[in-house]
Amino acid sequence: MDKEKYRNMYLAETAEHLQAMSEILLRLDNEPENHHEIDALFREAHSIKGMAATMEYAETARLAHRLEDDLDKCRKRGSVSSVEIDQLLAGVDLLEALHDDISQGREERRVETYLQTLNPQVPSDVPMSQMVPEKEEGDQIAAEPLLVQIDLAETVPVAAPRLLVLLKKCSDFGTVLKSWPSLEQILNDKVDARLLVQLRPRLTRQEMHAQLARYSDVEEISFPKPPATSGLGERRQKSASVRVSTERLDQLINLTGELITTRYQLQDALKQQHVQGLDDGVGQLSRLVKNLHHQVLQVRMVSLRALFSRLSRIVHDLARSSAKKIELQIDGADIEIDRAIVEELVDPLIHMVRNAVDHGFRDKDQGVISLKAWRDRDQVLVQVADDGSGIDPQTIRRIARERGLLSSAQVKTVRDYDLYQLICQPGFSTADTVTGISGRGVGMDVVKTAIEAIGGLVLIDSTPGEGTSITLKLPLSLAIIRVLLIESAGMSMAIPITRVIQAVEISPAEIHSSGKQLMVHYQDAFIPLLSLRKILKQSKGTKKDSLSLVVTEVLGRRIGLVVDRLIGQQEVFVQRLAPPFDQSPGCAGGTILGNGQVVFLLDLQSLLERRKKEV
Amino acid sequence: MPGRVLVVDDALFMRKMLTDIFSQAGWEIVGEAENGEQAVAIYQQQRPDLVTMDIVMPVMGGIEALKAILQLEAQARVVVCSALGQKHLILDAITAGARDFIVKPFQSDQVLEVAERVVAS
Repeated sequence: MDKEKYRNMYLAETAEHLQAMSEILLRLDNEPENHHEIDALFREAHSIKGMAATMEYAETARLAHRLEDDLDKCRKRGSVSSVEIDQLLAGVDLLEALHDDISQGREERRVETYLQTLNPQVPSDVPMSQMVPEKEEGDQIAAEPLLVQIDLAETVPVAAPRLLVLLKKCSDFGTVLKSWPSLEQILNDKVDARLLVQLRPRLTRQEMHAQLARYSDVEEISFPKPPATSGLGERRQKSASVRVSTERLDQLINLTGELITTRYQLQDALKQQHVQGLDDGVGQLSRLVKNLHHQVLQVRMVSLRALFSRLSRIVHDLARSSAKKIELQIDGADIEIDRAIVEELVDPLIHMVRNAVDHGFRDKDQGVISLKAWRDRDQVLVQVADDGSGIDPQTIRRIARERGLLSSAQVKTVRDYDLYQLICQPGFSTADTVTGISGRGVGMDVVKTAIEAIGGLVLIDSTPGEGTSITLKLPLSLAIIRVLLIESAGMSMAIPITRVIQAVEISPAEIHSSGKQLMVHYQDAFIPLLSLRKILKQSKGTKKDSLSLVVTEVLGRRIGLVVDRLIGQQEVFVQRLAPPFDQSPGCAGGTILGNGQVVFLLDLQSLLERRKKEV
Repeated sequence: MPGRVLVVDDALFMRKMLTDIFSQAGWEIVGEAENGEQAVAIYQQQRPDLVTMDIVMPVMGGIEALKAILQLEAQARVVVCSALGQKHLILDAITAGARDFIVKPFQSDQVLEVAERVVAS
């Protein structure tokens, strides 16, 4: 059988089954006697087993078979215990790890260890050996594969030969199954200072360690555990194929059909010099193109369901490990968003959920976390909220002053809301102690950077004693976004609309000055005015009767950006600039307007960061 | 654990340095060769515990000599000795069966570390 041909299909389908399994398990956690769910779970495991066996993925099949067996017992008993749920969840994790192995073309990791932890006395793999041929090379006494990680000292002059010697050394320890870098990579000098070898050892760890320790080039020797049960932190592989419903495909075909008809209409009208006909045709064409564009974007859209179910799994695990009772409320899992954005959301949301569990319920042992998504025109909002302890504004005031983020005058006047945005500043952490869950130095600044990189905004709100909510404002799609066109010194530029809080015209009389800084009153606070001409080092403009202002948030603070003219909003197709121009700070990409004019997309954040450095 | 060593290098200076390092550490120098051909001949007579082999040499190069020595004795312990820039030659030599390598310029303790480790294995 040409397995390659079916691999993507297998991967897509098992991914769906695995997701379903996690979801069902989490529901069973609340309703351990729901026999419909147990039946459904059994069927999912059964489907995976069947597919994996057909594809000759022996480890996956073996594990799925075992889960199916266990579930069959639960089915007969009519209930699942919480210990079993945890075991099954770990099994699903392992299946996901195997799924990753297969999708990346690696050899499947072994499931033996997991099976043994499940129930050592019951040998469950008897029927499997008949169903799936064992791929062992006659080496029956071979031990469990082991990972050996060797890190070279930084001072090693030539890494590749050293790694080659070490790899050969490892083959004295047992059968080398795989290595990273591979032998070919080493021979082509594609190495860094680490060698990871998977082998079936004939020696003990101590013996191997002693032999490797003889190399003074080797700085560290370790035997890491294979990442079998911890698929959580890993980014899921980007899927190579997209499943499109036939309904959606039909819509696309219909649209193309209509486009062809319109082309004939236009050709006829042109031949007859029929202006009204041309006008109608162009009108028709623009409607169809818009529709086509919309439909094609739909193909890239995925619901947040998979992401949300992964998050609920994380909450479940965190609650277990911290012995807190946390209820997760999910709303809006059907909201669809560009798959590229979903991929970028994974890590930030995991971090936010961990924060919520860890910091939000620092002083409580139960509570509710709500995970919510909704559409607002062409934006998607995703919110993680908790009803925990909230953030104490006084603590933030104190830290902000201590770390020089705000002057003592600013500390007094800043509004609580603006204060909360400060927790996204690099290195800002209000956790007094570092825990295993979060607060390990990677904080909200990483979330903010990731979200802003995809043109989104992070909004934080909190009420002490009532809870914290963090809302992400996201564009629907990465390629086509809505922008505000502005003009500065005769140049048109675009700002993503998601970055714009408001665009207003003000009169010079509204400007106040505080020292050298010009300020303007905006929503019961003073915000500083910055001139885009000045930032871009363009010539000074002439005085005008009214000032055009773009209110936006940069580096956690609201500012008023003074521009020459507000031109208007438009949807544009953003293209990345070719290297080396993509390195230019302040420019996030370019687009061509309908009139052929090239317009650059301003990245205010990087522009102002650079300016800060220069100052 | 010092043993018997054959030093192969076309440069007298390098041979001198290596033989000094080895003899000071108590090794017996069974011979010196200035090309691969000589090295193979001496190896056949002396069967030393260790050979340090320069790679780039006239008449017969180090990798060729290494292969010839391994033909004589599959378990022969040969360590290649090469300059920093010849990474690919070192990789070739290890692939061909060299046990380890020494990068020139070297310190005496580096040479002895490699030598002792290889002889112990």
